[in-house]
Amino acid sequence: MQQHLGRWPLPVTLATLVVLACGGEKKPQPAASAALTPETTGTLTVLDWAGYEDTSMFIGFHQKYPKVTVSVAFGESDADIFGKMKAGADACVFHPYTGWQPFYVRDGLVQELDTTRLSHWAEVPARFKALGQVNGKQYFIPWDWGFTSILYRTDKVPGGIDSWNALFDPKYKGHISMWDDGPGAVTIATYVKGWDETKLTEPQLAEIEHMWTAQRKLNRFYWTGEPELVQGMASGEIWVAYAWQGAYNTLLGQGVPVAYAQPKEKRNSWVGLYGISSACKDTNLAYGFLDEKLSAEQGTTLISSFAYGHVNPAAAKGVTDTNIVKALSLNDPAVLDRTLFTPLVSEADRDHFGQLWARVKAAQ
Amino acid sequence: MAEQRARLWAVLAPPALWLGALLVAPLVLLCGYSFRSGIGGSLFGDWIVTLDNYRTLAATPSFLELLGVSIGIALVVALAATLLAYPVAYYLVFRVRARAGMYVALLLVPFWISYLLRVMAWKVILGSGGAVNAFLLWLGLIREPISVFFYSRFAVVITLIYVWTPFVALPIMATLYRIDRSVLEAAASLGATPGQRFWRVTVPLSLPGVLAGVVMVFIPTVGEYVTPLLVGGSTGAMYGNLIQDFFGRSANWPLGAALAVVMLVGTLVLVGATSRISQVERFIR
Repeated sequence: MQQHLGRWPLPVTLATLVVLACGGEKKPQPAASAALTPETTGTLTVLDWAGYEDTSMFIGFHQKYPKVTVSVAFGESDADIFGKMKAGADACVFHPYTGWQPFYVRDGLVQELDTTRLSHWAEVPARFKALGQVNGKQYFIPWDWGFTSILYRTDKVPGGIDSWNALFDPKYKGHISMWDDGPGAVTIATYVKGWDETKLTEPQLAEIEHMWTAQRKLNRFYWTGEPELVQGMASGEIWVAYAWQGAYNTLLGQGVPVAYAQPKEKRNSWVGLYGISSACKDTNLAYGFLDEKLSAEQGTTLISSFAYGHVNPAAAKGVTDTNIVKALSLNDPAVLDRTLFTPLVSEADRDHFGQLWARVKAAQ
Repeated sequence: MAEQRARLWAVLAPPALWLGALLVAPLVLLCGYSFRSGIGGSLFGDWIVTLDNYRTLAATPSFLELLGVSIGIALVVALAATLLAYPVAYYLVFRVRARAGMYVALLLVPFWISYLLRVMAWKVILGSGGAVNAFLLWLGLIREPISVFFYSRFAVVITLIYVWTPFVALPIMATLYRIDRSVLEAAASLGATPGQRFWRVTVPLSLPGVLAGVVMVFIPTVGEYVTPLLVGGSTGAMYGNLIQDFFGRSANWPLGAALAVVMLVGTLVLVGATSRISQVERFIR
């Protein structure tokens, strides 16, 4: 309890103590979003990705607390969001992806969560909860997730694809597209080689660099945004690509003949997290926001509107769109067992991977 | 006297503050960052000075090679754009004269359209399913679309030349306008042929504008990153893309800063040497 009080702003703490000391008639409210009512007003600042400012991304919070304004500022990449938080962005809540959690903790940019203030916390599977922990403490809630796998044109690749090796296959020369990202490229290479991404040796890194440098001649372009990839696949220029399930869903919707591989080395999965800034003053709104994010109803909206996965397993039950069910393998409860979550890599490793990728692109 | 000085300061202060805050300070910070060990910790507090970033750069020949390639691309683009722009400028100044204003406006019309849209237009022209390939396929000259037109270094160079040509025409026009017509008449009355008048009078007198144009294109093109990102594909990256990567998705600002400083110094040295050798002042006087 002491620790709990320690994180409250002093006036709130004093006021609470006075009320308790006076034997106030009101009993202490349940912990979750204690002070929030439909009449609550105020502004919650959020640093998020473009697209996440859509009200349907926080529809539960918006409906419950209609008088609260959610003010969203944008980051364009994880590095950008980290840079903005470091520069002192005025955001109570922010949205990094797996791989970046420890840097926020190291630099004191995120506060430890009191999960007793989240009424939906118990509904989140332990597998997801663990991703928001650093040094055994819960700093983030997991929220949206999705797959990375090989997306391919079934008319151009009639034999189908069952391995990440397809990205390195000379058969598809000039029709492959890889994501423009060093850590992503290293992850895939370790899947192909069967290596542990967190314990790579110098010769292994050299081999990975060699693989991607040779792959460059087969690769048409490195995509930086999903629309670029979707356009390339729809036009028939790209047959085989590193892709997220969102692109698969979009192309299915456009009637393009595509399939999303189930590689023997397993799919990769990424998870989005929400944290509360250590500079956040009104954590009531922030906790209310996070709690509503975790509800099954909010999850169903996220899945149906954006084809992203949601951490609350109950969310999938309300989804009927067959393309989305296919894209997220919602009808396959065991799919996550065949999925590898991106592990945490150290900052030094991340720098190495970034430099490796820069050398691949710079090679003449 | 004192009043005059005060007035001078009043006039100079805003631009000096502007330059100081938005150019000099960021450049100093950039140089500082290139000697920093990482982006962790606070901006001014946890500053560990190191030469590691420059060591990494020196130990990575491909980065420096790419800088060389980028300088080469910038030179080709600057020279090609100038060669294409010169006849346009000459025509506007010596032939059109009266309606030159309208023609200059027409020359600048492309800039009314977003740069991104114009680059996308090149995709429609050069891409695999684009106009050029479709035409060649229709003629039966090729069986498969030629892919080298787009997502290649070739596409980067073509696009950059296209983008810069109208820009270069402007400084050349300015120097051509300033040529005293009586000099040309004197040359004619002394028996110079039109060709001799052009090569021995007009061209030398317009050289400052030509050089200004070349430098104006060269400097920004060395650090170019948007065009290669959009049309360069896997093999068309330029040095600027490395810097952008290190500041962006790799979040390795110190190494990015070291790369930027090396490019800045390299460009300054090259431009300084060029203007020294060509002695532009000689022409301006």
